[in-house]
Formats: sequence, structure tokens, C-alpha cells
Amino acid sequence: MAAAAQASYARHQRGYYLYLLPGAIGFLLIVLIPQIANFVLSFTAWKGVGTPRWIGTQNYERLIGDDQFWGSMIHTLLFIISMTIIPVLIGLVLAALLFDYIRDQFGERLSSFFRAGFYLPQILPVTTAGVLWGWILNPVGVANIILKAIGLGALAQNWVGDATYALPAVSLMIVWIQVGYCLVVFMAGLSRIDPALYEAAQLDGAGWWQRLFAITVPMLAPEIFVVVLTTMIAALKVFAPVFVLTAGGPDNATLVPSYLTYYHFFTTQRVGYAAAIAVVQMVLTVVLATIFLRFQARQQATE
Amino acid sequence: MADAVLDIGVNVGAKPVAVHARRKHGPARWLVLALLVAAMAFTLFPFLLALINGIKSSIDYAANGPLSIPTSIDFSAIAKFWGISDFTLKLVNSVLISGAVAVFGTTISLLNAYAIGVGKVRGSRVILVVLLLGLMIPQESIVYPLYFMAKSSGLYDTQLSVIIIFSVLQSAFGTYLLSSVLGSFPREILEAAEIDGATRWQVLWYVLVPVLRPTLMVIATFFFIWTWNEFLIPLVFLVSNSHQTVSVAMGLTRGQNLADPVLQAAASLMGITPTVIFFLIFQRTLTRGVVVGAVK
Amino acid sequence: MTSLSKLALVAAASLTMLSSAAMAQQKTFNIWWFEDPTSSEGIAWTKALDEFKAKHPDVTVNFQQKTFQQLQAAGSMILNSDQAPDVLEYNKGNATAGLVASQGLLTNLDDYVTKEGWDKILNSGDLVLSKYDDKGIYGSGHVWGISVYGEYVSCFYNIDMFNKAGLKVPTTIDEWVADMDAFKKQGITPLALGAIDTSGQHLLASLAYTKADDTWVQNYQGLKAPLDGAPYLYAAQTLTDWVSKGYISKDSTGMKDPDAAQLFMSGKAPMYVSGTWNLGTFASTIKDFKWGQFVIPTPKYSVGSTGNLWVVPKGSKNADLAAEWISLTLSPKYQTELANDGGVAIAADPSTITNDVGKNAAAVFKQISDKNGLGFYPDWPVPGYYDVLNQKDTGLFQGTLTPQQFVDQIKKVYDDAQASQ
Repeated sequence: MAAAAQASYARHQRGYYLYLLPGAIGFLLIVLIPQIANFVLSFTAWKGVGTPRWIGTQNYERLIGDDQFWGSMIHTLLFIISMTIIPVLIGLVLAALLFDYIRDQFGERLSSFFRAGFYLPQILPVTTAGVLWGWILNPVGVANIILKAIGLGALAQNWVGDATYALPAVSLMIVWIQVGYCLVVFMAGLSRIDPALYEAAQLDGAGWWQRLFAITVPMLAPEIFVVVLTTMIAALKVFAPVFVLTAGGPDNATLVPSYLTYYHFFTTQRVGYAAAIAVVQMVLTVVLATIFLRFQARQQATE
Repeated sequence: MADAVLDIGVNVGAKPVAVHARRKHGPARWLVLALLVAAMAFTLFPFLLALINGIKSSIDYAANGPLSIPTSIDFSAIAKFWGISDFTLKLVNSVLISGAVAVFGTTISLLNAYAIGVGKVRGSRVILVVLLLGLMIPQESIVYPLYFMAKSSGLYDTQLSVIIIFSVLQSAFGTYLLSSVLGSFPREILEAAEIDGATRWQVLWYVLVPVLRPTLMVIATFFFIWTWNEFLIPLVFLVSNSHQTVSVAMGLTRGQNLADPVLQAAASLMGITPTVIFFLIFQRTLTRGVVVGAVK
Repeated sequence: MTSLSKLALVAAASLTMLSSAAMAQQKTFNIWWFEDPTSSEGIAWTKALDEFKAKHPDVTVNFQQKTFQQLQAAGSMILNSDQAPDVLEYNKGNATAGLVASQGLLTNLDDYVTKEGWDKILNSGDLVLSKYDDKGIYGSGHVWGISVYGEYVSCFYNIDMFNKAGLKVPTTIDEWVADMDAFKKQGITPLALGAIDTSGQHLLASLAYTKADDTWVQNYQGLKAPLDGAPYLYAAQTLTDWVSKGYISKDSTGMKDPDAAQLFMSGKAPMYVSGTWNLGTFASTIKDFKWGQFVIPTPKYSVGSTGNLWVVPKGSKNADLAAEWISLTLSPKYQTELANDGGVAIAADPSTITNDVGKNAAAVFKQISDKNGLGFYPDWPVPGYYDVLNQKDTGLFQGTLTPQQFVDQIKKVYDDAQASQ
């Protein structure tokens, strides 16, 4: 009896594999084969046209000695702060604020209005955002004008043109873009939570901050994990904000691996070298993502 | 009174839960509101810059710069961009491609997540990580291989190629999100349906999809917006102007040596309007608050 | 009629229809360019295209307005596919035209040069960037493309501000410095610059060319020898000096060209070093003051070159029509048209030009080109050098790199490329 049940269960399970078929075919064609091709290309010298020339591990040897490359790796890790950590924190607070406070005090409409407004930066193409932020951050731009107007002129800087401030300046634009994504995902998740929990907590005398840490954050765990993972991966791939604001400068102060690969794939046409950089970038992303997923699995197992 | 109406509005679609107790309206709420308004102003300021420069004349911009209020309203930049980009066509293309990706990408995500989250097939964890690779790859690294594949299959310079590529790439995110949601879906309901004789397919469409609608809408909305703003792959794969999207057409505002800031501002205004409208429409569905867990 | 005759008639009719359909199918002419439609080239070429269409009523002429961005990123990929047109505008230089020429993606135009008489209109200097050898290096080999306009870098200046300060147009670098000093004393920063953009590089190169001779320029552009850093060292030292004296604002590293141009256009900065691509914008949007341009005083070389090339992709079935198009844009009528629209005509008869800006531009270009003084652009020798120069420029202007360090670092990249040829 047990064997038959097991067998039918196994058959039942197998049926689900069929659902993976479209995704699997797509993955094979669009992800796997190109990635393998890219890996193979990383051992060649190629200009994008004509035939690639096999050169073994030369690209990787070159990579190890390339200061620009190591600098770009460090910068992209730094961008995790502005692409993940800060937006997630702001997103959590804002989501809780809009959901748990504004909705009661002012109504659903206002809460949705704020959410839409904070999400708007996500809708703008990054290239356009770069032009607009350029007007804000350039030496005679809005940021410095406002600082001077309120008497803090001494703080006015050459935000994108000074190596000390360029990375933070780009980070500011990135936070501006990312908060909306975190906010929307968190608010969608919050609609899952039984409001009775908040009622009970409030009746028990829990303040807003306590409700945030005791209820909101733990209940939003799945969403938080998703957002942290995806924004972290995005930080390691970040390209457009750097491309439009600083072009990797000043003097490579904001260079990131994706910018370097774009540069070598399409400008210098050193496709093999670019492929090698992309491989290393990919490996780093996979390693970090795996560590994070393990952490997530452990966290969820202990619940 | 107003609160009672709001309570019902909030819970529409969900099984009714406990009625909201009225919160005390303290003075602190005005401070919080003020802070939020300030934060919103900061967030929306760059859009204001786009607006005031998109309706400025070039002469005004030359004389007064990007931070000045326009001396007169001038739609010539908008008209110029509309004309030289054949903007109506670009809009149609963008809507077509983004919409198709939203539909196909969400569908693939749903099918994948069903197998992984509900079916819990052998090796689910591994499959999930492998599919996540789609999220991790830098796009630059797959352009050349995909270009050769598209050329040899006759799909180069077609919108279909772009739709296929993005549907697969975006589905990585959708699969990840949906499978974690489906993974914690209450088993009792699924088992009850199976006992009633429902096939896997029927369970998916008649039990799960209705409940998952808000999450599916969130995913579809994301896919639409992300695809709308993609520019590298459309730039390479959509050669003919008649196939191109709005994001590719934005390149018209920057020439080899010159950028036209007024044109850029006008183009950006035109470029975001459809996505804003799309988002506002679907924001309504997001507020209908159907909850995955509260289906008792 | 017998049924056989009817059949023959139908067959004949079908054949005629089929063949004319086939001919009509063959006679589609696809042409692309990426110059802005409101630029002088855009206006002139659009008029030329109208005439071209009128001349060939049996041909379906399809024009597509392309973007520079697309052709820069995906140009070789597009040319390597069935989507390439019959003729298109393509960026000149080893990294772009040279690359696709050496890969066999273009049609050889040697025969057309003599047949259409282009070598009568263009001098040898004008054809230098049309020729690429089988390694893709300019200067020798077959003719793969034709330029029909020119470009050069000069110093735009605010005539009213100069007059008000009682200053004259400089003819030497020292006079230029004196002019800048005079403005500085009045509290005006004399030179607007987009240091993280092209104008920064072009000023650097212009100063370097004051110390460059024929050998240096040919070696530099031809990647023939490791970099002789002396001219760049002089340029870097001069620039650092000018920044310290306040002739160029340190903030310029935060400015792109449009920002710097706007400073000039609004009358805040009396001078702006940049190329003739600004002429159209300046002519149409500067209304408050009179402006002009002066050539940066160098012994021979100026930053500049012949314009982008008309190239004919290998797969084009209408090479004859393409050649006819090229001849049309090179004809006196449309060279004059270009000049009258404010552009830099490469071969226009000055007596026919009515537009002052165009007349002056054509004259200056001819002057430079006749003495073979087109020094091309500083980023050309090495693919991707543009980004390198940008990065190092910002270091130099910011003061984080000394002139010597600057030269050492750009030399390293140059020498690497030179050695690995």
C-alpha cells in the first residue's frame, strides 16, 4: 500500500516538471548558451567581427594586473550600500509609515498618492535621470545654489567632478531611484498582514517603532529577502547611473565592472577581455548570492 | 463616520477581518505629514526640472540655463522630438514589447514557480538558483552571442527577438518572488482541491491564480516598466526605425558631439508619461488588498 | 483568339508584370544618416534627397534618421547583417570606419573616385581619412568612404565682451593669455570648459599641437612609435597653470560640454573652446550678443578633420545610386547649400556663399586643410582612448595628477596599444 502511494506520489511530482518546460527552454537559449559562449570568448582575442583568435588565459592574466579592474570591483561593492542597505531601510520605514500610520490618520488615498510619488523615480529612464541629476549636482547646479541660499555655501562642492564626492553623489541618485522599488514590494507584502495584529499590539501599548520591529519586519521577511537579494545583484551589475553621471570618473573614481565591460565590448572592441571581466563579475555575483541564499534558507528554517 | 467607510473600502476583496478600531488623531500626524511632503518634494524635484526645461525655448535655455522658469511656454521641443522620432510609432512599439514581456514573463514565472513552490519537484532549490542566474548576468556579456543567434534564426531586427529575450530575463525575478510566495501557500487548500478531483492545471488556474492576482499584477507592472526603460538590447537588436522603442529613440537627443538639453527634457517628459499612466492604472489593483494568507 | 494565343498573352503579361515587380523590388534605395535634422548637414542633405528622389521616380527611396548612439555601439553588428542600407553616414577613423573596412563589410569605392571625379573636388588631404589599409589603419589603401563636410576646433568668443574690455583677437598663445588675464582681473572666469567632456580634451590637444611637428603628428595618429610626451607635457603644464591662475574654473571637472556651452551662450564666459558642431546651436539661439571664433594659434596643426564618411555597405545592390548620391552632396550646388545653412563645406566656392557663418567656416577649414594642418583628434590612435583622456584630464584639472603623472599615465596606455599592434 505504502509503495503504491509513494509511486503515485512520485508520478504526481513528475507531472510538475512539465510546467518548467517553457522556462527551461528560454533559460537554455537566452541565458545558458550565451553564458557559455561568453566564457569561451574570454579565452580569445576578438574585435566583434571576423574570427576570434585563441589566446588562452592571457585575458585573465591581464585582468589580475589591471588596477582599473580591482578598483571597479571595490566601487561596485560600495554601491551595495546605496543600492541595497539604505533603500531597504528607508523603504521599510516608509512602507510602515504609509501603511500603518498614514492610512489610519489620513486615509487610503493619501497613502497611495505618496506611494505613487516615491515610486516615480523608478519609471524614469536612467539616462534621463542622469541628465536631470546632472543639473542638480553640477558646480553651478541646484544643490549648490540651495546650499548657498541657506547659508551653507561652505559645503558647496564640485559633486561629480571631485573624486572624493563623486561616489557619494552617484549613490544619492541611486538611493533616489531605488527607494520606490523597495517601497512598493514592501507595501504589497504588508497587505498580507492581518491588521488585527497591529490592533492587538496597539491595545497592548506598543508604540509605532515597537510595532515596526515586532510585527512589520518579521512578517515582511520574505519580501525583505527578495528585495535585498535583487538589489544586491543589481548593485554588482550597476551601469547606467555611473555611465550618465560621471562616465566612471573623475579619474576612474566611480568605475564599475559593468562600465568596464561595456567599454571593452563596444568601444575598444576588446571583446575577449570584456568577456573575461564579465566572467569574473558573474562569479563574484554568484558567490555572494549563494552565501545570501544559504543565510536566507537558514533563517526561514528556524521559523 | 469616514473611518467606517474607509474600513470597508480597505477590506474590499478580502474576507472581512476585525473592524478597525478608531486610531486617535494626535497632533503628531501633521508633523509626520509635513516630513513626508518634504520627502516627496525632494523625490519629485528632478521631474520638475524636466518639466520646466521641456517647455522652454532653446533661446531661453541658452540665455538663462536649466534652472530658470521659462519666460514663455514653448512646445517646439516636444513637437520636434515627436516629429523626428515618429513618436506615435515608438510608443506603439514600446507598449507592444513591454506589454508582451509583462504577459509572457509573468506567465513563465508563474509556471516555474508552480513547479518549484507548489510541486516542490526534486532539485527545486538548485533549479531556483540556476534560474536566478538569469538575474545575475550582466547584459553586456550576452549581447554578442544573442546577436549571432538572432541573425542565424532570421530574428535580427525583429521585436519578437527582444520580447523573447526580456521575457526570459525578467522571469528570473518573477520566478524567485512567486516561488517564495507559493512556497508558503497553505497546503490545506491545495489538498482540498486535489481531493475534489482537480488536476494540477485546474488547481493552478482556478485556485491559485485568483488569489495570486495582486502579486501577479505587481510582477507584471514591474516587468512592463523595466522593459520600457531597457535600452542596450533594443539598441542592438532593433535596427529599423519602425521597430524601435521609445528608449532607443531617446538617442536622438544626443548627437555625436552635441547634446540638446531642452530636447532631452522634452523627450523625457514624453517618455515617462505612458509608464506613469500605466502605473497609476495598476496601482488601483494593488490597493484592493487581497491577501494571500487571510483566506480562511 | 485561340486558347494557345490567350495562354501566350497571359504568360507574356505575367512575365512583364513579374519582371517589373522584380525590378521595382530591386530598386529600393535605403539611405541613413545621423546628423540632426535641424543641423546644417541635416537641412542640406534633406534638400539633396528631395532632388535625388525627383531624379529617380522609379526608385523607392527610404530614408531613416539614425542615432549616433546606435551606430557607435552596434555599427559593426548592423553592417555585418542583412539590415545594412545602401549608403550611410559612418564615423571616420581607425576604430570605426577602419575596423569595418578591414573586416570586408564595405564596398571599395576606388573606381567611383575616378569615374565620378571626386579626386578633382577633394584634395589629397581631404581623402586621407577615406583610405584604410587591410589592418584598418587610415592613410593608405583603398578608398572606403567619402567626406563631404569638415570640422575643426576653435575658440568661440563673445565679441561684445571683448570690445567692452578693449581686447583684440589673439594671434599667439601669449596674447591669448594676456586676454584671459585681463578678464580675470575684472573678476570674470575667461574660459568655459567641459573638463569631463570633449572640450577638455580638445583644449589639451590644441595646446599640444603648438609644440607638435609633422613627425610627431604622423607618429601619434598612426600609432607608429611610443608616445613622445613632450607636447602633452607642455599642454598639461599650461592647463595646470591656467587653472591655478583662475583662467579655467576648477569646477569645470563637474561640467559637461552642454553646461560649459550654456555658460558661453548666456554671456557669463567670454570664451569657449569647442568644435564647429556648435555653430548651428549658437547661430540659432544666441541673440543677446555678437559672437565669433578664432583659430587657436599653432604653427601648423589644428584639432579637426574631414567630416563623417558616406560608406557603401558590402551587400548594397545599388552602389551606382550610392555613388550618385555622394556626388550630389559633393556638388557645388549642395556644398554651397551646406555653407548657407551654416555648416563647414569642404569644397564650396566662397563667392557663392551668402551665410556669414558658413562662409567663414569654409574659409577657415580650407586654410587648415590646404596646408595639411588637420591634426585629427587626440583620442583617435587608440580605441577607447577617449575615456582614458577624459579620466586623466579630470585628474589633471582637479590637481590630483601632476602634469608629469598625467603624461606618464596616458603614455602607458598609448604605448601598450602601440606595442600590441
